[in-house]
Amino acid sequence: MLPEFELLMPRTLSEALEMLTQAREGVAPIAGGTNLVVDMRGGRHRPSVLVNVAGLEELRGIRRENGHVVIGATTTVAELLEEPLIAEAAPVLWSAARVFANPLVRNRATVGGNLADASPAADTAPPLLVLDAEVQLTSKEGSRWVPLDEFFLGVRQTLRQPDELLTAIRFPVPPSGAVGGFYKLGLRKADAISVASVAVVVEVGEDGTCRKARIAMGAVAPRPIRAYEAEKLLEGRVLTPELVAEAAHLCAEATSPIDDIRASAAYRKHVVEVLARRLLSEERR
Amino acid sequence: MGLYKSKYTAKPLPPVDLPELRVVGKPLRRVDALAKAVGKTVYAGDFSMPGMLYAKVFRSTVPSARIKRLDVSKARALPGVACVLTAEDLPDGKLVTDIPGQTGQKVRKGSLTSVLARDRVRFVGEPIALVAAETLEIAEKALEMIEIEYEELPGVFDPLEAMKPGAPIVYEPDNIVARWKIRKGDVHAGMAEADLIIENTYRVPFVEHAYLEPEAGVAWVDERGVINIRVSTQVVEHFRSIAKAVGVPQNKIRTIGTMVGGGFGGKEDITVEIFLALLAKHTQRPVKLVYTREESMMSQSKRHPFIITHRTGVKRNGRIVAAEIDLVADSGAYPYLSPYVLLYAVVMATGPYRIPNVRVDGVAVATNNPFTSAFRGFGGPQAAFAYEQQMDAIAEALGMDPMEVRRINYLRTGDTNATGQVIESAAWLEETATRALEALGEKEPDRGSVKIGRGVASYFQSYGRITWLHDTSRAWVGVELDGTVVVRSGVPDLGAGQVNSLAQITAEVLGVPLDQVTVYSTDSALTPLAGTSTATRQLYMSGNAVYQAASAVRKVLLDRASKHFEEDPKDLDMAEGRIFVKHNPEQSISLAEMAQICAAEGLPLSNLALFRAPFTDPLDPENLQGRVFPDFTFGAQAVEVAVDTETGEITLLKSVACHDIGRAINRAAVEGQIEGGSSQGLGYALLEEYVMEEGIPKTVTLSEYLIPTSMDFPPTKAIVLESGSGKGPFGAKGIGEPSLTPAAAAVANAVADAIGVRIHELPITPEKVLEALKRIK
Ligand SMILES: Cc1cc2nc3c(=O)[nH]c(=O)nc-3n(C[C@H](O)[C@H](O)[C@H](O)COP(=O)(O)OP(=O)(O)OC[C@H]3O[C@@H](n4cnc5c(N)ncnc54)[C@H](O)[C@@H]3O)c2cc1C
Repeated sequence: MLPEFELLMPRTLSEALEMLTQAREGVAPIAGGTNLVVDMRGGRHRPSVLVNVAGLEELRGIRRENGHVVIGATTTVAELLEEPLIAEAAPVLWSAARVFANPLVRNRATVGGNLADASPAADTAPPLLVLDAEVQLTSKEGSRWVPLDEFFLGVRQTLRQPDELLTAIRFPVPPSGAVGGFYKLGLRKADAISVASVAVVVEVGEDGTCRKARIAMGAVAPRPIRAYEAEKLLEGRVLTPELVAEAAHLCAEATSPIDDIRASAAYRKHVVEVLARRLLSEERR
Repeated sequence: MGLYKSKYTAKPLPPVDLPELRVVGKPLRRVDALAKAVGKTVYAGDFSMPGMLYAKVFRSTVPSARIKRLDVSKARALPGVACVLTAEDLPDGKLVTDIPGQTGQKVRKGSLTSVLARDRVRFVGEPIALVAAETLEIAEKALEMIEIEYEELPGVFDPLEAMKPGAPIVYEPDNIVARWKIRKGDVHAGMAEADLIIENTYRVPFVEHAYLEPEAGVAWVDERGVINIRVSTQVVEHFRSIAKAVGVPQNKIRTIGTMVGGGFGGKEDITVEIFLALLAKHTQRPVKLVYTREESMMSQSKRHPFIITHRTGVKRNGRIVAAEIDLVADSGAYPYLSPYVLLYAVVMATGPYRIPNVRVDGVAVATNNPFTSAFRGFGGPQAAFAYEQQMDAIAEALGMDPMEVRRINYLRTGDTNATGQVIESAAWLEETATRALEALGEKEPDRGSVKIGRGVASYFQSYGRITWLHDTSRAWVGVELDGTVVVRSGVPDLGAGQVNSLAQITAEVLGVPLDQVTVYSTDSALTPLAGTSTATRQLYMSGNAVYQAASAVRKVLLDRASKHFEEDPKDLDMAEGRIFVKHNPEQSISLAEMAQICAAEGLPLSNLALFRAPFTDPLDPENLQGRVFPDFTFGAQAVEVAVDTETGEITLLKSVACHDIGRAINRAAVEGQIEGGSSQGLGYALLEEYVMEEGIPKTVTLSEYLIPTSMDFPPTKAIVLESGSGKGPFGAKGIGEPSLTPAAAAVANAVADAIGVRIHELPITPEKVLEALKRIK
């Protein structure tokens, strides 16, 4: 059963931040609750005070602002799917939203919650990493923007301080030539935790050389990771099948997967390479 | 590559004479549908009573141990706790986990187990103490305050290890729970005659039932002193065993079954009933117990893992001349229905094939794993996974078409199966398999590293219980004075439409619209006992019972009407609530009027009927020659899959199941069973495995234990054939269990067809595909 807790319902962001600061040990923000409630039922997490951020106006909405796409932290995964701006500017994120959980969970699960939870398998993380996203952390003292890549520390560990809220996510609107893709390999076709996932965005110039490459992977390391070596290899070169194969291999090299109930480490390493190669090859066309 | 032809064409069906009926066979809206759709059905967990207590079960966390110390005093002292029971507080009642004396075996010690563990636990999840408290929160708190110390003992977790000398004994005298053997013909001579001998070993895992509704119930003691248990169960007749375990006379326990939110065999054994009865008796208050998902997964039965080795002797022309089959089943920590599941698997081990020389040896072995018991198919799907892959392996070895090898060897009506039982009904094996394959249409082409394959699996599966269990069912049918009809039957409805079928049969016989029939069901005290909703037996057994009862009432009405119309009863018929003269339908009387006439004259407007299955004597377990089952359902499933040879991912592209169900009572319900059974079987094929590590379950939530979602498979197309040859009412057979049986084997064959290498183990995961591909590189 769900253990007892106190539920605070702030009406404004500043009220919420005040509550976070005031609360003793064991305070946690709650948005969709699709991670938190499950963890509390299972006894893995026992916060005594929950601050509900789901209703905060300041944390909602998707908009274009100063060359960026800005996503409010409590935007749900379903809203990502419905918002044309995401489908147009960031199809890689839209693709991830489409294979995220199931329709019921998508209606509640928030992007902020997905990132703040920092599961190695969080499905919005690889696409947001390849979009060079930053997250906004806000406390009573003010806000800071942190590159998503620095935000993740380890398994369910982030830079976020207990008195901070994740308030928004932003990424530069990719240039029109940028193309990308996302593939999630799970053990079933819906509602599965990723065994491995790969997101790719590349910008290829008129001359066929790769101007910029971003590759990120989920569920193959203690946190969602970028494949820096592979990205470096690709940038400034023409994406030949040989080069792509080499880059895909470097992707696998960058991983440090584990054996678990879903798959072996060896399998994860293997499929990451296959998926990276396929996604990069698709972008060549 | 590609074992199968890219196109199959079915031959026309043999002619059958099935008269069109008025109600039976129609896809009518089921009588239980509306209440379920609008949420009015009061399932077991939905029911509450004033002053009710909430129960929880304290369970072992280790797979094999002696209980050194158990202290419940703190839990007892917690305010709000009404009672804590341990083995010390119970009468010496035993939980009977077997049906002793009916398997031809002596009562085994392990079959009688303590309701609560006294000094020894044998699996993780074994019940040790019961708590009842004012609220669920208090009950949970009390569980945390129970103190226990274990002395861990060596356990055994693998059935092959458990058979070795020196292995830890799970319970006395040894780890052999049951053995069955088939000896038919001369298997040595048969093998000597063979041109080729093909040997393979197949393995299947533990599987969880994963019904939507976990085990649940409420019990209370009424003013008569009767302990009432309102519970989700497949078997209301358990009231007798419950009485024994609780230490009260049998007429002091009443089980009131609810609509079941999925049973699949998991609610065939006693679940919460004894706990509830004990707590209600001790507290004299209503008590509710609902298992959590994790508890349900951890503590309840599983499908038996099997290791099955086939050695098949074949002639070059495809004829099978001999089969040697060894089966080892993991029975887990207590016997429950293992002896019977093993028997089913042994009897069906050869598949639906005519094989003159057969040796089968089956053994069920105790381990410190969760206990295994009934699960839709009851050993049949395990057997089919092996025998149908073996058929394709034979085809491959002979370079023949898999359909051709099957056709040559299929059982036909009048043949005997491995136990020497004559197949009495239609055996439409070729008819169903070719139709399933035909309906797949043209095979899709490979797409680069994604390979397409197709596979078929035929099967035979019994319906009705083992004939030496001497099965009976009762039903009561009565006509009211306004022409409406009441049926009383102890049938538990698992969601498969058991109640609706009885209503539809009664409506047909008495000539009333379906909505004029009200069925009272599943009450061990007030409805005539109809036996278990298991073994695909209810339509056959209770369908026949209700048919008999309704027919008896019909006879009374028509006899009286024949006087009324001065016509022979043969020339009268009943439809739409009227009795009429066939050659002049204008001449008619309403059922209500006729019922009133009969009532005024003291004629019986109701009937209690008893249907008996064939009764036989137990067979010799050393050779099993004779009848084991009333009859069999035959059918097939064909699937097409895409296998990604780089990632190992498998996508089911098409699935068609074709079954001869004898006669459909409600066509929509039949198709529902076929689609649902198929999904469950496809989940068995590709996803499901209850993982155990040294006796510790690793998949006790639905996040780790993966069942199929609606996105995983395209709907299975159901082709329903009606031979009219079954032993049920109107020539019906059974489809509840058979609908699951062929799916996994069909998928395995399709994967092998796609990638050119066979995977002998379920579930067929992406990793296993890649491992298999490595073997041929
Ligand atoms: C059935 C099911 C299927 C799922 N499938 C997927 C899947 O396919 N892919 C996937 O990635 N995940 C999946 N999840 C996990 C979960 O749904 C997602 O991680 C979701 O995005 C979490 O968001 P939430 O709003 O529900 O977070 P919550 O559960 O409310 O919170 C999660 C964590 O983040 C913290 N938090 C939430 N919001 C903030 C904030 N604004 N600032 C700071 N901290 C915050 C909370 O304190 C908590 O620690 C699934 C979960 C379920 C139950």
